[in-house]
Amino acid sequence: MRVLSSQPVRKLSLLICFGMIIAIQSGSGFLFSEETKISPMEQFFLQKIRPLLEQKCLGCHGKTPDDIKGEYIMLNREALIKGGESGEPSIIVGKPEQSPFWNAVTWKDENIQMPPQERNRLNAAEIADLKQWIADGAVWSDQKLVPSETKGTASGTELAMSTSGGQSPTWTGRTYQPEDIWAYQSIQRPAVPWKALTVKQSGERHPIDAFIQQKLQQKQLVSSKPADRKTLLRRATYDLTGLPPTAKQVTEFFTSDGDAAWSSFIKRLLQTPQYGEQMAQTWIDVVRYADTSGFANDYERPNAWRYRDYLVRSFNADKPYDRFIIEQLAGDELDSEDPEMLFATGFLRSGPWEHTGMSVAAITRQLFLDDITQSVGVSFLAHSFRCAKCHDHKFDPVPTRDYYRIQAVFAPVQFADRKVAYQSHENISGFAEMKVRTERLIEESRAEQERFKQKTNAAIAAWLKKEGFKNLKQVAADKRPPLRWFGLTEHEKSLLKINNKRIDYFERELKRYEPYAFSVYNGPPNNYRSTKAVNLIPGPKKKQREIQQTFILAGGAVTAPTEKVTPGVLSAVAGSNNVEEPNAWNTIPNSQEGRRLALARWIASSNNTLTARVIVNRIWQIHFGTGLVATPNNFGQKGAKPSHPELLDWLATWFMDHGWSIKKLHHLIMTSNTYQQSSHPANQEQTQTQDPNNQFLSHYPTRRMTAEQIRDSLLLITNELNPEMGGPGVFPEINWEVALQPRHIMGSVAPAYQPMPRPEQRNRRTLYAFRYRTLSDPMLEVFNRPGSESSCERRDETTVTPQAFALFNGQFTHDRAVALAHKIKQETASTPEAIKQIFQAVVLRTPEPAELTVTLKHVADMQSYHQAHPPQKVSLPREVKREMIEELTGESFTWTEKLDLTDNYIQDLKPWDVDAETRALAELCLVLMNSNEFVYLR
Amino acid sequence: MHRLQRRDFLYGMSASLGTVALNALLQAEEKSTQNSPNPVFEKPLAPRDPHLKPRAKACIFLFMEGGPSHIDTFDPKPALEKLHLKEFVREDKQVSAMASGKRYYIKSPFKHRQAGESGISLCEHFSHLSEVADDLCVYHGLQAESINHPTACYHMNTGNRFGGDPAVGSWMTYGLGTENQNLPAFIVLPEVAYPQGGSANWSNGFLPAYFQGTALRSKGSPILDLNPPAHVTRETQRKNLDLLAKLNQADMQRHPHEDLLAARMESYELAFRMQAQVPDIINLDKETQQTQEMYGLGQPETDSFGRRCLLARKLVEEGVRFVQIYAAGWDSHDYLDRSHKARMQAVDKPIAALLKDLKGRGLLDETLVVWTGEFGRSPDNGIRSGRQAAGRDHNAKGMSLWMAGGGVKAGHRIGATDEIGDHAVEVVNPIRNLHVTLEHIMGLDDNQLTYFHEGRFKVLSQTGGAVIKELLG
Repeated sequence: MRVLSSQPVRKLSLLICFGMIIAIQSGSGFLFSEETKISPMEQFFLQKIRPLLEQKCLGCHGKTPDDIKGEYIMLNREALIKGGESGEPSIIVGKPEQSPFWNAVTWKDENIQMPPQERNRLNAAEIADLKQWIADGAVWSDQKLVPSETKGTASGTELAMSTSGGQSPTWTGRTYQPEDIWAYQSIQRPAVPWKALTVKQSGERHPIDAFIQQKLQQKQLVSSKPADRKTLLRRATYDLTGLPPTAKQVTEFFTSDGDAAWSSFIKRLLQTPQYGEQMAQTWIDVVRYADTSGFANDYERPNAWRYRDYLVRSFNADKPYDRFIIEQLAGDELDSEDPEMLFATGFLRSGPWEHTGMSVAAITRQLFLDDITQSVGVSFLAHSFRCAKCHDHKFDPVPTRDYYRIQAVFAPVQFADRKVAYQSHENISGFAEMKVRTERLIEESRAEQERFKQKTNAAIAAWLKKEGFKNLKQVAADKRPPLRWFGLTEHEKSLLKINNKRIDYFERELKRYEPYAFSVYNGPPNNYRSTKAVNLIPGPKKKQREIQQTFILAGGAVTAPTEKVTPGVLSAVAGSNNVEEPNAWNTIPNSQEGRRLALARWIASSNNTLTARVIVNRIWQIHFGTGLVATPNNFGQKGAKPSHPELLDWLATWFMDHGWSIKKLHHLIMTSNTYQQSSHPANQEQTQTQDPNNQFLSHYPTRRMTAEQIRDSLLLITNELNPEMGGPGVFPEINWEVALQPRHIMGSVAPAYQPMPRPEQRNRRTLYAFRYRTLSDPMLEVFNRPGSESSCERRDETTVTPQAFALFNGQFTHDRAVALAHKIKQETASTPEAIKQIFQAVVLRTPEPAELTVTLKHVADMQSYHQAHPPQKVSLPREVKREMIEELTGESFTWTEKLDLTDNYIQDLKPWDVDAETRALAELCLVLMNSNEFVYLR
Repeated sequence: MHRLQRRDFLYGMSASLGTVALNALLQAEEKSTQNSPNPVFEKPLAPRDPHLKPRAKACIFLFMEGGPSHIDTFDPKPALEKLHLKEFVREDKQVSAMASGKRYYIKSPFKHRQAGESGISLCEHFSHLSEVADDLCVYHGLQAESINHPTACYHMNTGNRFGGDPAVGSWMTYGLGTENQNLPAFIVLPEVAYPQGGSANWSNGFLPAYFQGTALRSKGSPILDLNPPAHVTRETQRKNLDLLAKLNQADMQRHPHEDLLAARMESYELAFRMQAQVPDIINLDKETQQTQEMYGLGQPETDSFGRRCLLARKLVEEGVRFVQIYAAGWDSHDYLDRSHKARMQAVDKPIAALLKDLKGRGLLDETLVVWTGEFGRSPDNGIRSGRQAAGRDHNAKGMSLWMAGGGVKAGHRIGATDEIGDHAVEVVNPIRNLHVTLEHIMGLDDNQLTYFHEGRFKVLSQTGGAVIKELLG
C-alpha cells in the first residue's frame, strides 16, 4: 500500500489483525467468584482491561500458537509484556508512553496501528484505561467473572442462550431478559380465551375476537360497532386487490346478506387475479425488486420481470408459504428443469448491485454476500443480521459467527442468466413492436457513430498525407497522433460519448426480448467483472476451481479474514444449535450443491420459531395497518414487543395447521368481528387515554391509500386501467420535467424517459411500471413509496405539501378528472345525475342534499367560466434539449435528443378535447379525487 | 425535545398556520409508530437549543461532484514532476480492474501558488480564491471508503455508502430546527443533472419528512408541480379549493376522531400560498449589479454556479440552516489540464465572492462553509486508447477539502498526504469524524443526536466518531 515510503518499513511486531467489538457490559452486573482478596487493581483489570482485550485483541492474539498473529500472544501477563516477533518488549511496566503497545493502540506509530481497522479503533476512554493500567503496574488476574446470581428482575431470572458461540466468552455467557428473546422460543399453541366473548354459540364466535376482547377487557376498552356495509366493502376490496370495488362487486355484495355472504365475498375477492398483484406489491416492498441494478450502473435487468410475475402467480395460486420460501431461496437446487423454480431465485439478486472499472472485485462480491445475508434475515426471519457483521450482536443472541455461517450458505452462489423459454402464461404480447423500435434506435445511433468515425478517418488520412506517410503502419507507435477522437471537435466528442452510451443502453434493452431467467447457479467464483446484461453459466473450465471459502471478517472487512466457518443456521432459535446438537434440520452440508436448500428447509419448517410468526404478522399488518409486532422486520430485543403474543402464536399455529395457506389466513382474519368493526371508537375519550395508538384495536384503524393504490384507483374509476397482467415493465406518463431530466449512467447520460405512445400500453397497474432505482415517478415518491435500496417493512403515511402539489396540480389527476367527467357525461342525461354518478364513482356514495346544492352551483359557475375560456392545446415535445457538465472539458455541454415516441403519441383525453360542461364536471372530479374521503380507507 | 400528545401537536400546528410558509413543503404529520422513543415535535422546524455552544449557525456545503483532484487543487506534489510517466507499481492486494494494468505517474499540469499570509497552496486557476486564502482551513487527512461515485456521494452526504439514511442537512435541521419558519430548513441547489445517486443524496432517510432537503431545481419549475397545468387559473383553483374545504369539512364532522384530516386539509392551503411566494424567494434581480458581477452572474463559465452561491448567501441571510450546492464534472480520468481548469474557473470566482460577501455582512463568523468532493484522485493513471491518459482515477485514501467561517482554524493546512498524494498520512480521519466535526461546529453532539430506527439509536456517524480537533480554531 505504501509507495515511496521515506523511511524503510520496520518489521512489524504486530501484524494486521484484531479482535471483535462486543457489547460492553458494565461491571455492576457481575460478581467475582471469590469475593474477597481482590485488590482494586485486579478489579480494574477484570472490569475494564480484560473485556477490552477480549473484544479488541484476542481474536487474533489469543489463539493457539500456530495461529497467532505477529507471534504475539496476549493470553497472559508475561506474554503480553514480552511482545511479538520484533523481539522488543511490548509493555514497559509503569511507563505507558514508552511502551510500543501504547503506540500501537493510540495509532501514534504509523507502522503499528492496532486494532488495524479504522472502525475498530479504541476510543479515548479505552485508551485512558489502558494508560492507567500500564502506569499502575499492568496488574493481571485470572479470576473468573461470572454473571451475578442476584440479577433477577421483575420479569424473572435472566436466561442464557445456546448459540454457536461469540468472539469472547463474555458474550457467549451473557444472559437475556426472557421478554427480549421471545422470538427464539417455541411457538405455543395457546387455548382460545372464549370466556372473553359474550356470545357462547360456537358457530357465532371467532377465535381472533376472543383474543382481542380479552386484552380490551383488561384495558377496560370496548369495541366499536360493526362497520356499515359500504365501508366494509371498500376496506376489504383494497386489502385484497389494492383497488376500489367495481360496480359489479357493489351490486353483488348488496344483493346478498349475512355472514355467509361476507365469507363468500371474501373468497371471491381472493379468486380475482388482482389479489396476486396486490400481494406481489407487498412482497416487493420487503425484497426490493426493481428493473435496474442501481448505483452507478443503473442499467436495465432485462428479465427481472419474470420474478415479479412469478410472485403474482404464486400468490394467486395460494402457494403454501413454506414452499414459496424454498423456491425463492433454492428453486434451482430443487428442480432446475422447472422454469418457475429458476424465476423464483430472482429473489437472491433483487438488491442493488454495481461493479465498475473502479471497483475491487473481492469487495463487490462481499457486498453481494452481505446483501443476501441481510435480505434473508429481514425477509423471512425478521432479523437484521447486518448488526452482527462486524461484531457479535449487541442486543440479540446472534453471534458474528452465525452471520458468516449463514453467509457461507451463499458462498457457491454465482449470478447467471439462464435460458428459459417463454411460458404460455407469460405476457410477451408487445415484444415484436418494442423490439423493432429498439433495433431502429440502435441503427440510428450506429449511423451517427459512423459519421464520427468517417470524420476521424478522414482526419487521420489528411494527417498521413501531410506528414508524407501512406498508412499508419509506417508511423512509429510513439509518433502517431492520438487516434481516438482524432479530428473531432469537443462537441462532437461529447456527442460520440453520448451515442456510445445510447448504443450500450439499447443493446442491453434488446436482451429484454430474449428468454433468460434472472437467476443463479452454484459454483466456484466465476470472476465476472462486467455488468453485462446477460451472463451465462460458464463452461466446465470455470467450474473446476474450489468453492469460495467463508471466514469471519474482522470488523466486517474483506481484508481481515480470521476464522474459517462452514455453513450454518441462526443458532439461537430453539433446537437450531448444530454445534451442540446437530441434526438433519439444523445442519447445512458443506457441499457445493444443497446449501441453500438446507437453509430454506430450516427456515420453512414448523420447528422454526420465527418463520410462521413473521409471515402471520405481515398478513395481519395488511389488514390492520400495524402488525401484532409493530416492527415486522425486527423480532429482536430492539424491535417492538408483540401486542398480543398469544394471538400471534395461535395464528402462527393455525396457519401451519392449514397448510401455510395465506388465502385461508386472510379469510380467517377478515371474518372476525375485529376486522369488521367500525373505525369510530365507541368511547373516544377512553380510547384517547387508554390506548391512543389503538394498539388494542378497540376500533378499526383508518389509513391512507398507498401511492400505487391512489394511481391505480384513479385509472380504474375512469375506466382507463388496462387490466392486462405481466410482462416486461411498461412506461407510464410521469411528470415530464422529471422524465426529461438527465439521468447519470456510468459517466454519461441515459436516453430520455419516454412514456409509451398508446394509452392502453401505459395505463397499466403500477406494479407493471418499469422500476428504476434512480428514477422515481415523483407522484409515487411523495406518497411514500419506498426506495428500492433497503427492505421496507411498513409504508410511512406522512402528509406533506408536495402531495398537494402532485395530486391537485399534477397532470395525472387533471387527466383522470377529464376522463371521468367525459365518461359520466356520456352515461347521464342531466347535470344532477352526472354529479351523483361522480360521487358514486369516487367515494362510493351519492351526495347529501346540501352537497348536491353546493356542487351543482360549483359546476354551473365553472361551466360559465369554461365557456368563456376555451383551453389552448398543448403539444408534446418532439425533442428535448439536454445539458450536462462534460468531463473531458469541464464545461457545460448541451445537445438535442429526439423523442421518437411522441411522433405517433395518442394522448389521454385532454381539456381541449371536451366541451365546457365536461370541463366543469372535471373540476368536481378533481376536487373529489383530492378529498380526504377518497384517500383514506376506513 | 419533549413528547406531546397528538392533540397538542395539532394545536401547535394550527397555531402556526398564520405564518405563510414555504416550509409548508415539510409540514407533515407522522403517524407515530407504537412505543417509539423518538421525539414528537410541536413545531418540527422551530429553533431548538444546541447541545453545545455552536461555532456556526448555518452551513453552506459546496459539493464538487465527481471527485476533484487534491493533487491539482490544494495539495501540490512536486515529487510527481520527476516521476512523470514512469511506471507506478501498486502494492495493494485488492486492486480494482482499472488499476490492474500498467500504471504511470502523472504530474500536475498546473502551477501552484502560495497565497495570503498563511501561504496556503492553491492551484493557479483559483486566482479569486487565493484572495481569501487566509480564511480557509484546508484539510488533507480525510479518507473515504468507496471508490464509486454514487456510493461515495452517499457516504459523504449521509454517512451510509448504500443510501437510504438521512443527509447531514437533515440531521442538522432535526437537531437544530431552523431560524426562519417561512423557508425550508435544508435547501439543495443541484445542477440540471442531479448528482449520481439522485435525490437520495438529500433524503431525510428514516427521519420524519419535515427534515428532507428541498431541491430548488435549476431549470423548469423550481419545485415539481408547483403550478397547475397551463389552462388552470388562480381563480378557478381557489374555487376548487373552497369546494374541497367544504367537502372535507363535512367529512371531518362525520369522522371527528380522525386527527389526520385537518393537517391534510391545511397542506392544500399552504400549497396554494406557496405558489405565489416561491418565485419571489428565488429572484436575484434585486441584488445590486456589483454583487451580481462579483459572483460572476452573466458570464457563461460562472453564471450557473454563481447564481446558486448568491442564492445560498441570500438564504442563509434569511435564516436557512443548511444549503448544499452541487458543481459537477470533476471526474477527470483524462484531459485533466483542460477539464479541471474549466471546473476551477467555474467555481473560483463565485466561491471567493461568497466568502467575501458573507464576511462583509458579518455572516462568515457564524456560517460554516465546506468545500469537498466525494473522494480525491490518484497520482497515477493507466493506458487509454494506446497512450498514457493525462488524467487521474478515483482515490478514496487521499483527498483535500476545506472549510471556512464558523470557528474553523482559518489560514491553516491540516494533515497531509504522502509525497505523491496517494494516501493520507497525517491527521488521518474517516468521513464519520468529519461528520462529527460538522455537528460539533454547529453545536451538536453526535452521541446525543439520535433517532431510533431498525432496532437501534442511529447517529450520523453510524457507529460513533471523534471530533477532528485540529480543524477547530
